[in-house]
Amino acid sequence: MQFRFVSELHFIFVPMKVLVLEDNPRLGASIHDFLVREGYSCELADTYAKARDKLLSVDYDCVLLDIMLPDGNGLDLLQLIKQENIPSGVLIISAKEALDDKIKGLEGGADDYITKPFHLTELHARLRAIYRRKNPAATNSNIISFNEINLNTDTLQAYINNQLLDITRKEFDLLMYFVVNKNRVLSKQAIATHLWGDYTDNLDNLDFVYQHVKNLRRKISQLNGTDYIDTVYGLGYRFKGAEEVQ
Amino acid sequence: MKLINKLTYWIMGVVFVVTPFTMTISYRSIKSNINKAEITRLKDVTDKVAGQLKAGVPPQQYMLDRPITVKEVTAMPVDKVQTRNYSFYNAELKRDECRMDVTSYYNINNKVYAVYTYNYVTQGKQIIMGMIYALAWKIGLITLSVLISGRLVSKYILSPFKQTLKSIETFTLGNKEKLVLPPTSTVEFKELNSFLQNMTDKAVKEYAAVKEFSENASHEVQTPLAVMRTKLELLSETEINAEQAQLIGDMQYSIEKLVKINRSLLLLTKLNNSEYQTTEMVKFCRITKDMVKALEPHLEVKGLELRNHIGSNIPLQIHPVLAEILLNNLLSNAIRYNDPEGYIDITLTRTRLTVKNPGLAPEVDPAILFQRFKKSNQCADSVGLGLSIVQQICSVNNFEVNYSYENNEHIICVDFGNEAVTEQEAVVVEQTFFNNEPVIA
Repeated sequence: MQFRFVSELHFIFVPMKVLVLEDNPRLGASIHDFLVREGYSCELADTYAKARDKLLSVDYDCVLLDIMLPDGNGLDLLQLIKQENIPSGVLIISAKEALDDKIKGLEGGADDYITKPFHLTELHARLRAIYRRKNPAATNSNIISFNEINLNTDTLQAYINNQLLDITRKEFDLLMYFVVNKNRVLSKQAIATHLWGDYTDNLDNLDFVYQHVKNLRRKISQLNGTDYIDTVYGLGYRFKGAEEVQ
Repeated sequence: MKLINKLTYWIMGVVFVVTPFTMTISYRSIKSNINKAEITRLKDVTDKVAGQLKAGVPPQQYMLDRPITVKEVTAMPVDKVQTRNYSFYNAELKRDECRMDVTSYYNINNKVYAVYTYNYVTQGKQIIMGMIYALAWKIGLITLSVLISGRLVSKYILSPFKQTLKSIETFTLGNKEKLVLPPTSTVEFKELNSFLQNMTDKAVKEYAAVKEFSENASHEVQTPLAVMRTKLELLSETEINAEQAQLIGDMQYSIEKLVKINRSLLLLTKLNNSEYQTTEMVKFCRITKDMVKALEPHLEVKGLELRNHIGSNIPLQIHPVLAEILLNNLLSNAIRYNDPEGYIDITLTRTRLTVKNPGLAPEVDPAILFQRFKKSNQCADSVGLGLSIVQQICSVNNFEVNYSYENNEHIICVDFGNEAVTEQEAVVVEQTFFNNEPVIA
């Protein structure tokens, strides 16, 4: 097992097995590299046929499914997963934002949907969410913990040293995004997209991300929590993992 | 002028021009026939008289009550029958008369006799009067029947043409539907229909090709963008110095902008493609309130005051995604181009949505701002497609959007053009795609 932070990620007992079906080898490699660094066991398939064979022989926790494939439609694979009662979670990746695809995918049994171009950290957050939903036993209930921080994903409440943190919904989402993607550089754009979705293009969201991060840091330190959030000059923010914090 | 009126005028014009000629011909023909008949009759009379002369019977008996004169002349003229037709004024009766004189020459017992007789015939004037009377009736009847039958027949004959017009009127390229034209037996309409059919079929085909191309192009761009975005993310995780970080940051910024432009263009293409058509009613007031709530933090950061006049129970036929994009674009603009410590005034009624905010005057004509990539107060983050999208959404939903700048206020007004929507028609669509809370990791 390639876990660097096993003690913090105690809700994961075995490496999450992910099958990535993506016909673009470069994008596939990006996803693969990211997930492997995150400690997942990740396999790539670039055609419908290969993905089908893998799905029928190996159990995956989660499948990343590109809809447009050179030799078939990802939605057909979704049908196969349903027919064969394969318990994997499914996250659809599509270049089309067409509502049709989205609705077809979700009706066909997909757990979530993400459109290209996506941020790897966003992909990760969604993947983790699917995994948590699919494996409630393995993920140790609804609490995500990191050192003194506890996040309850059901009640959407955050605790620092068991004290309730008074934060807004957006700040909760932000903190969760940080914790899930700890030690990752999160660009302001990635945070903005995570918090406000794809269509909030017109707003000065980047300034707003700054405001949110500032508020969150202030509120955490008010409860004597550690300030894990680092500003990475020119790029964004990073939530420091255990090894960098005293 | 209507085609049928033109044809009517033309027919009537022809009738009026030709009538004097036909009248002259008729008059001459009638007059000459009357004269010929009279001459024949008078000739018979003179022949009878000549016969009596020949038989030695005194002609007096036959001449009784008849204006016949018998004279002995010296020589036989060239014309054995001489006629004279003339009008004169009858002083006794005080009217014009027309008389026909016939003088026949006979050679009886080596003597030449001239037998002369005459009769009154119908005057030309009387004939003309009769003809004019008939003409008045004729013209009246022709006019009436042309007017009536023209209208009735034109309705029948022109109906394929009118149906064709109707079909063209309702035809829109975006519908991807072929033009359907009614069958007709008129050659010209057949030609017109076949021409229109070919033209629109071709246009539909090419339009679809262009649409498909731009949509495919946008989709094709998504994957390379995803590659770039993810590679830069991975690159930023590696050991890099501050300078490199800055370079990566700048690249990320540009890619984000590219992503936004592409997304907006894709949306515009889809709007043109009518992919967001709906028959559902949404509670527009609900969506507006949600949107305002979602943007409240932005208002706070900028220190803007919210003047909220959002009415309740306002159903509208619009795709919920479009409703959200429309509101988001309008309100975002109002936030972005506001004065410091300014305000946003939102008024929503059943018939219109008005967003007002103070701000610098636009540097260009407000109407131009609806064009793609046109910006007024140059703002680095702005792509310049927001108002184009607003306009496109409005046109897809048959709303009318107006932008004006008065008294230091930017005013955008969206007219829904629906006064008759009743409450019962409102179906709440709770599903929203836009302001979804992010998933929980």
